[in-house]
Amino acid sequence: MDFNYSDLQRMLLDSAERFIAEHFTLERRRHLRDSGSGLDDTAWNTFAELGWLALAIPDEFGGLGGSPADVSVLAAALGSKCVSQPFVTTAVQGVHFLANAEVPRTELLEQIAGGTARLALVHTEPGERYANAEKRQTQLKPDGQDFRLTGQKFFAPDAALATHFVVSAELPGEGFALVLVEAGADGIDSVNYPLIDGSRASDIAFNGTAVSLDAILAKGPDAAALLVDAQDKAMTARLAQAVGSMEEILRICSSYLKERKQFGQQIGKFQALQHIMADMFVATHQSRSALYQALANSDKDRAARSKALALAGITIGEASQLVSRQGIQLHGGYGVTDEYEISHHYRYLLTLEKIAGDIDHHIRRASGT
Amino acid sequence: MVRDAIAQDLPPRLQERQRRFAGNQSEPGDTMEWTRILAGRGWTVPHWPVEYGGCGWSPMQLFVFQDELIRAGAPDSCWGGTHMCGPVIYTFGSEEQKAKFLPAIRNGDYFWAQGFSEPGNGSDLANLRTAAVRNGDVYVVNGQKIWTSCAWASEWGFFLVRTDPTVKPQRGISFLLIDLKSPGITIRRIPQINGEAELCEVFLDNVEVPVGNLVGEEGQGWTYAKFLLDHERTTSSFIYFNKAAVELAKAVAASRTLDGVTLDRHPRFQGRIAQLEAEVTALEWSVLRVLANEHFQYPEAAAASVLKIVGSRLQQALSELHVDLMGAESLRLYPAEVAERPIRSSLWSEESEYLTSRALILRAATIYGGSLQIQKNIIAKIAFDL
Ligand SMILES: Cc1cc2nc3c(=O)[nH]c(=O)nc-3n(C[C@H](O)[C@H](O)[C@H](O)COP(=O)(O)OP(=O)(O)OC[C@H]3O[C@@H](n4cnc5c(N)ncnc54)[C@H](O)[C@@H]3O)c2cc1C
Repeated sequence: MDFNYSDLQRMLLDSAERFIAEHFTLERRRHLRDSGSGLDDTAWNTFAELGWLALAIPDEFGGLGGSPADVSVLAAALGSKCVSQPFVTTAVQGVHFLANAEVPRTELLEQIAGGTARLALVHTEPGERYANAEKRQTQLKPDGQDFRLTGQKFFAPDAALATHFVVSAELPGEGFALVLVEAGADGIDSVNYPLIDGSRASDIAFNGTAVSLDAILAKGPDAAALLVDAQDKAMTARLAQAVGSMEEILRICSSYLKERKQFGQQIGKFQALQHIMADMFVATHQSRSALYQALANSDKDRAARSKALALAGITIGEASQLVSRQGIQLHGGYGVTDEYEISHHYRYLLTLEKIAGDIDHHIRRASGT
Repeated sequence: MVRDAIAQDLPPRLQERQRRFAGNQSEPGDTMEWTRILAGRGWTVPHWPVEYGGCGWSPMQLFVFQDELIRAGAPDSCWGGTHMCGPVIYTFGSEEQKAKFLPAIRNGDYFWAQGFSEPGNGSDLANLRTAAVRNGDVYVVNGQKIWTSCAWASEWGFFLVRTDPTVKPQRGISFLLIDLKSPGITIRRIPQINGEAELCEVFLDNVEVPVGNLVGEEGQGWTYAKFLLDHERTTSSFIYFNKAAVELAKAVAASRTLDGVTLDRHPRFQGRIAQLEAEVTALEWSVLRVLANEHFQYPEAAAASVLKIVGSRLQQALSELHVDLMGAESLRLYPAEVAERPIRSSLWSEESEYLTSRALILRAATIYGGSLQIQKNIIAKIAFDL
């Protein structure tokens, strides 16, 4: 096994670290959170120019054909500055849906690569907790050659910023289906709201939205498999974001322990705090190992991959809690203000842990219950 | 009796605001409104000596009364006044100070802020630097305080200031009451992790404070501050809140399902709730032991540190559980102020509006009032002489 970065990964990392550190200052992120749509247009264009939005697109569709390991290098860099732009939902999860649909959507993939299209998965329904490809209340009702989409969706991350939705619905005679819907189509009522990491999510009602036959991305067992695969890819990228965030917390906290003085000395001289810092280091180190384990299994069969991911999810979820909680503790009062980085990492890691399957979910998944 | 009286007096509007509040203490406006109502019954400072307006209740009666207030969903009292500077004033203050401030605290005339911590001196409070120099009838105060909770909404503050820089740090500190509307005071609210901005920075630039506002003797401020912190040994257990948080966890678990079964029947959540309930129950008995003046083998302050350590850890563990029970629903960001929140759609639970916000600010529970690490240092030192 080779744990060193490839040339492509080195290049990605260099450009990513430079741009992200310069661009995503704390002030900018707080501003993005508190105003406008939440989308950073300038950054999104740069993402496109740097090829990041094409990274996961297969070569045959004009992308860079990057592997999950390549994506995770970039995702970790984004995580290091708590970037909550819709990268994972569009350029990882969305790309997977489009590239692996019954009929691949080359045109839309090009638009994603160019930065003009963004995709969100609109799947969860009210009362659900991390739903799989289960029976949907949302219905695709035949209407001549085409269909009408009706139903209420709940908590769709990044949907407020998306140009297109991938919507799960019940298709008569076929069962589970995934359809592509333009965000601006008629008969869509959205309620958009901010999340604690500064991103946006939506509750979306479809009231007879017209859907043409060729908007169906997949149906039946293929659609269920497509959903699981796309969500697993997204989860892998989110785990990498979490690792990037934790590694940055180690840097932030260790320098704070050297800067801050109490009782006439650096607080880093107190052994109680040295041991906390060491615990955080151990958990973060284990997290990167867990990420590598998940990446190594990312091309295995669905069951093996799913188990590997669930295990990584448990390790990284628990580490995120320990590292972010202790990170605040080490900062004293400064830790609970909005004006220091550490509280942003706390909220970012909490969001990554909970957004699409929490620790409890992964424990049940790993133990097959 | 008490329960009926509270139920009769507590306005439903205040009760609702308290149920939905997003922080770790009630909005100052709600606190003052409720204090004025309770004052009608003479119940705002039941723990004070009777001559200053206390009720003459036993420690157990006081305990039950507090428990009832929380159960009823009443706003907090203004702790800084009723539990912190009030007792200092009636114990060490002048007759003028008693006459002026004690009735005002009792009646809820103004909100009090605690001006102890400074940017460079948190855990190491004894080295505080804000200076008060005597000039005729006034002290001229210069310096900066931080983390002064609710200073923006407070009329008065009780401050620790340095009046003598030449002696051992603890000896040069004095206890001053400062009118926060005095010229030279600037207050900045600090945006917090949970969207509130209750914490403040207080800048003091040549603020003139009448010498009559010095409590007790010059140079004795440290002793009074210790008295004040020791005075209410059991409050840092937050036992009433922790008991309420267990019940809340049960309710949140019972109202959500996974695979057709409510969360309180899922072994992992069921187990966590039971474990936390066990710890809260033991904590209540630890509190009762202190209230009953049990004769400890160890210094009493060690038992107080136990209450602070367990009480703060449980507040965090219970709020973490609330968030975990909500799952992804916990991630929505709401305005901290109840009145500014959007009208709730039926898709969202009421608790999602505030439980995450509370969990976020409760990260501070192991930081304020003597951090977790400082409490452990205290135990090691005073209980075991290590
Ligand atoms: C929500 C909130 C409300 C507050 N309200 C008020 C208020 O109303 N009035 C007021 O005056 N103050 C208030 N405070 C301030 C509070 O008391 C201080 O934050 C606290 O004393 C810690 O000080 P600090 O923040 O400077 O952290 P520091 O003292 O800088 O601590 C940083 C870290 O170092 C650790 N540490 C420090 N010394 C040691 C040691 N000797 N051994 C091991 N570890 C050590 C701490 O545990 C912490 O983890 C409030 C704070 C918060 C967060």
